[in-house]
Amino acid sequence: MEIEARPKMIGARVQRVEDPRMLTGHGRFIDDINLPRTLHIAFCRSDHGHARIAAIDSAEAAGMPGVAAVVTAADIEGLLQTVRATSTMANFHGTELPVLAMDKVRHVGEPIAAVLAESRYLAEDAAERIAVTYEALPTVIDPAAAAEPDAPLLHEEIGSNVLIERTFERGEVDAAMAAAPVRVGGHFRMHRKTPVAMENRGYLADYDQGRGSLTLHSTTQVPGIVRDTLVRMLDLPGNRLRVVAPDVGGGFGGKTALYREEVLVCVLARKFGRPVKWLSDRLEDLISTSQAFDEVVEAELACDDEGQILGLRADVIGDVGAYSGYPWSAAIEPVQVVSFLPGPYRVENYRGRVRGVATSKSPMGAYRGVGRPISTFVMERLIDMAAVKLSLDPLEMRRRNMVRAEEFPYKSASGIVWDRAGFLECLETACDGADYGALRRQQAAARQQGRWVGIGLASYVELTGLGSRIAVAPGMPVNTGTESATVRIDSTGAVTAYFGIASHGQGLETTLAQIVAEELGARLQDIEVLHGDSDAVAHGTGTYASRSAVLAGGAAIVSARAVREQVMKAASHLLEADAGDMDAANGEIFVKGTDRRLSFRELARAVYTEVNRLPRELREDIELEASNIYDPYFGTATPATHLAVVEVDPETFGVTVQRYVVADDCGRIINPLIADGQVHGGVAQGIGAALLEEVVYDDTGQILTASLMDYVVPTAVEIPAMEVFHLETELPNNIGGFRGLGEGGTIGAPAAIANAIADAVGHLNIDINELPMTPERLFRLVSQKEE
Amino acid sequence: MKPAAFEYLAPVSLAEAVAALGRDDAKILAGGQSLVPMLNFRLRAPSLLVDIGRIPGLDYIEDDRAGGLRIGAMTRHHTVETSDLLRQRFPVLHAAMQYVAHLAIRNKGTIGGSLCHGDPAAELPGLMLLLDARLKTTQRTIAAEDFYEGALDTALAEDEILTEILLPPLPAGTGWGFEEFARRSGDFALTAVGATVGEEARIVAIGAHETPLRLRAAEALFPDIEAAAEAAREEVSPNDDLHGSADYRRHLVSVLTRHALMSAREGAAS
Repeated sequence: MEIEARPKMIGARVQRVEDPRMLTGHGRFIDDINLPRTLHIAFCRSDHGHARIAAIDSAEAAGMPGVAAVVTAADIEGLLQTVRATSTMANFHGTELPVLAMDKVRHVGEPIAAVLAESRYLAEDAAERIAVTYEALPTVIDPAAAAEPDAPLLHEEIGSNVLIERTFERGEVDAAMAAAPVRVGGHFRMHRKTPVAMENRGYLADYDQGRGSLTLHSTTQVPGIVRDTLVRMLDLPGNRLRVVAPDVGGGFGGKTALYREEVLVCVLARKFGRPVKWLSDRLEDLISTSQAFDEVVEAELACDDEGQILGLRADVIGDVGAYSGYPWSAAIEPVQVVSFLPGPYRVENYRGRVRGVATSKSPMGAYRGVGRPISTFVMERLIDMAAVKLSLDPLEMRRRNMVRAEEFPYKSASGIVWDRAGFLECLETACDGADYGALRRQQAAARQQGRWVGIGLASYVELTGLGSRIAVAPGMPVNTGTESATVRIDSTGAVTAYFGIASHGQGLETTLAQIVAEELGARLQDIEVLHGDSDAVAHGTGTYASRSAVLAGGAAIVSARAVREQVMKAASHLLEADAGDMDAANGEIFVKGTDRRLSFRELARAVYTEVNRLPRELREDIELEASNIYDPYFGTATPATHLAVVEVDPETFGVTVQRYVVADDCGRIINPLIADGQVHGGVAQGIGAALLEEVVYDDTGQILTASLMDYVVPTAVEIPAMEVFHLETELPNNIGGFRGLGEGGTIGAPAAIANAIADAVGHLNIDINELPMTPERLFRLVSQKEE
Repeated sequence: MKPAAFEYLAPVSLAEAVAALGRDDAKILAGGQSLVPMLNFRLRAPSLLVDIGRIPGLDYIEDDRAGGLRIGAMTRHHTVETSDLLRQRFPVLHAAMQYVAHLAIRNKGTIGGSLCHGDPAAELPGLMLLLDARLKTTQRTIAAEDFYEGALDTALAEDEILTEILLPPLPAGTGWGFEEFARRSGDFALTAVGATVGEEARIVAIGAHETPLRLRAAEALFPDIEAAAEAAREEVSPNDDLHGSADYRRHLVSVLTRHALMSAREGAAS
């Protein structure tokens, strides 16, 4: 009788292997890396939103104590090639992203000059003494006004502030809407946000003059992309340019762009022959790390008397800030808003038009959710508005329109093909988990007492783990569809797995080790996961777009299986058994049903060291190492439903989130603790987007939210305990069966909370079409209604 | 966000500290929870910091033997928050302490530092007004009512150091209420209102004026709580800022005044 003795590592609630290091202060972050002779940078940044630079006087600064140099654009001319993000999309205009401002500045905070000094203190003293003479130009703050033909231009050579324009269309939307009995619509506004990772951005470049090689230590999420791009910019071969992301304290997309400061430290380390370090402080982070979610949407939904959707149309203006970032471009967020707007619903007639418009603000970039927090907010509000109009329960409205199991694969109105995933199952699981019926009864009772309690649902589906068939940003010069893994057993029997991804809080050292351990039959503690280093694999891009579990996890499986074959080949000889009669578990290879066994250590010694254990031909044939890539081709779909219960204080207009339930379909779970953690963190950021966080620029382009006193992120007190349910719908044609999970929390929460607030104030007939819904905004909405 | 260079002095006596403050643009460092961020932002660049943290005898909460309390200026917020004596004598101050920033800040920040910084949205300055505190300095004793001259502006001279807070006893049977609304737990108040009700009502608004403010017109209307709450709205002159408009703050003052008075009246009655 055969007993299944192999412990399952995939799916196990394993404590994160990173935790002891992080929690005892033994992590190694950029600021922990101190090299002798380092020069520290402080920037002189623009305090104008749009201005021509008439003169830069840095003479006094250059003479200050401890200052090695003051560098402006003119000083680095010819030391680097510029890059610009490209796209194959029609009506796309890329922009240069000057490392230091040349003739003009286009947003407050744009770096103009860099002081290099013996310490950051001295560098800041000198930076204060740089005098820049500006000739002010008109700022462009309101994105709708910026899109007008007579608006002042940020990039004259483009001839317009509209950097991207695109329309998705299916069916006869205008006719369908005109004939529809029920129409709802509105003007929706989500305001600008910024990721606020716990660790600010930071870069340290070290140039080895003897070897002509450069090492960049960077807080980047994408060391492979940075390496590949810097190779072109600095004209160095890839084997002399290494990009290392050590421990990184969060990114949330904000560290997926190539940053100006990142390029500059490399240029200057080579120019001066000394290590050059720049560490952002929080002020700089809030004004210079990519911002997002700044979208204006006019949208209208039509349905029949039964609530069946007949048509959807939307006009979106995305405020992309002053430049098109590299590599994702100004298109990444606004285009996603219209491509995901139809959500998990059957929408046969659709038109979504989008324009990405440049303004005098810090450049827009990727932020957890990318566009879909806005598309979900708008669509889910429309669904609820229609439900109210039809006197239909919002749950029933969703049931009637969501793509059903028998309809997969379903091609969405914007052309995305949704394969089988638990769309309706998530909706039902969330509502069952929350006991939706009981919630509605409790709400009715609370209303009787004059309390404003509301229940909000939000359903969405996102593309995760994208393969080569669908680019993260169309036509860009980066392949985001593959990742690689090298798995190696060394002469001591220890296993090292090398990846192109870069874990920065996701616990990938744990989950990828679980996958390798499971496939090899090794113990978790025998596996070391190396990542965040461009030297680790020949090609890799990094961690973003909810891809690492799917792509790096897939590559880990392929490579680990290949190594396991080699292990079995050697073990077969050593244990004198057929490979089919053997198995491996807990770091041992054994002949099933016998006590004949061999540890990985013994096997490695036999292969590498004890040359008489295996015949020469066999030793030459065995390679305890494999390198493979994985390409999920289409990628995976991750649907979810969020349910929020909020209470609005009718006097102060404060909103408290009382309950929060999430049901997602994340495919096969690698580690339930980490899966839950991803949802918790995403929802926390979504609550920030819904209630608190907003980057504010005034009419002159000054940023008013330059400290964490004014840019308010939620704290643990504002985040409720969450109830999270995971469905694990099988994924055929995908090696690991994993779906990406990293971004969903941020996608669902703004919409669920907006719907819950709208429900709570439903008796006042108030539109909740703007986020964050601050007490001030709610006060105004209610006051206007009362007048 | 690195401060400009400054000299640092840690005197061990008040006399020494006062002498050091004779120098132009010297600044007192107490708990550092407001000053240090301002230094880092380079909003202040004093040439000398006089750290009064090593002067003995400024950290205490003592019974004044007359039903009141004497609190040393360098007493940490956390000590104030957790003092049983203070909770018994001045429960309104105890209740308000839970709104003072976060634990890490309360562990370092001092009552004297907060009072001298004089942020109009901070709880402690308003509480001093509510409790009719007298503030003893190296030169004189100043009534809390006369202490605040504007936002972040006090009656203290350049070389004057706050040493002690004297809280006179609350008459027996005084009821109290403290209500605060902030966007997040631990933030400065969008608006807060404290009230005591004994023989008469005393009401103070926080975060709704350039200084903490006694709402005398509202006080005069008590016991008509609704009228008092309406009057309170007109007594304050809040500013618009990122977190709330003047209109909204007036609204909050009215709402919070009503709740604070209702709690105070209930406490007084029982």
